[in-house]
Amino acid sequence: MEAGDHELIMELKQENTRDLAFHRLVKQYEERLYWHIRKIVMNHEDTDDILQNTFIKVWKNIDNFREESSLFTWLYRIATNESITFLNSKKRRSLLPLNDVSDYLMENLAADPYFEGDKIQMKLQHAILQLPEKQRIVFNMKYFDEIKYEDMSVILNTSVGALKASYHHAAKKVEEFLKNSDW
Amino acid sequence: MEELKKIAPKLSKLKKEQPFGVPEKYFDDFSARLQHRLETEKQVPPQNQSSIIRFLKPALGLAASFALVFMLVYWPLKSFLPNYLAKTNTIETINEEDTYLIFVEKMDENSFFNLLQEPGTEEETIEGNFNDEELLSYLSLNVSDYEIYMQTEN
Repeated sequence: MEAGDHELIMELKQENTRDLAFHRLVKQYEERLYWHIRKIVMNHEDTDDILQNTFIKVWKNIDNFREESSLFTWLYRIATNESITFLNSKKRRSLLPLNDVSDYLMENLAADPYFEGDKIQMKLQHAILQLPEKQRIVFNMKYFDEIKYEDMSVILNTSVGALKASYHHAAKKVEEFLKNSDW
Repeated sequence: MEELKKIAPKLSKLKKEQPFGVPEKYFDDFSARLQHRLETEKQVPPQNQSSIIRFLKPALGLAASFALVFMLVYWPLKSFLPNYLAKTNTIETINEEDTYLIFVEKMDENSFFNLLQEPGTEEETIEGNFNDEELLSYLSLNVSDYEIYMQTEN
């Protein structure tokens, strides 16, 4: 647990300090959670909605948080679940197969006015979008955010061994995609 | 990192840069926008209905509709126009009697007598209950002594 998290949680659970503590929590975690969500759903507007939903869920459920895990993993878990729920609703509305949302994400990426990367970065994002959903989330969390497997295990409710295997397969697939593309 | 170099050398050479951007001052305004949305959420009254009530709601609505129809139609008729309902019931009784009479009228004569003489009818029961004294008194009234003598001689 990060320093000051326990104090922050106590303040969030008390009626008279809740508003101020919540403002602190948002300021402390908004950027990290934003980038985590953005890498899952790609589009800025969708990310903004999901980030707001995440914090509202935190506000509503803070009394149920028993501190069995750290605040950081609890927040990441909510953000991940909200992102996956969002993608599932997109699949249902577009009548897509449950494991195939990559076309929608690819379109999001191509039309994204806030994409600032170069050609190689775009290629890397394409390669990542070829991965199955869970593998993609694991790859992003490990490769970009360098989150420890132990924390990822709590966030994704998956064993460390399975996460290591998932990252290994994902990295190999991305490498293969990069090798076969002309850059 | 070492592991990544082994399994994905090309990937490990790439710079880990964040390729995405956000609108200007997005993170500065986010907290205020979230606060605004929270205020809106707080104003929405919480739904305290339990799932059982939500499940039974249609059935309860239907039952309430029937109760309302009963209250508005049957009960006022029964209270303020009792004769109307009684009349309806009498008409039904007469109709049953009419049906029986029509059935009897349509019967031919033989069928009617057969029906009367079926075992268990009142006539047979009475006949079966004659005792000796009653029989003698009947004969003494309708038959002369001579006729009785003639019958016993034969």
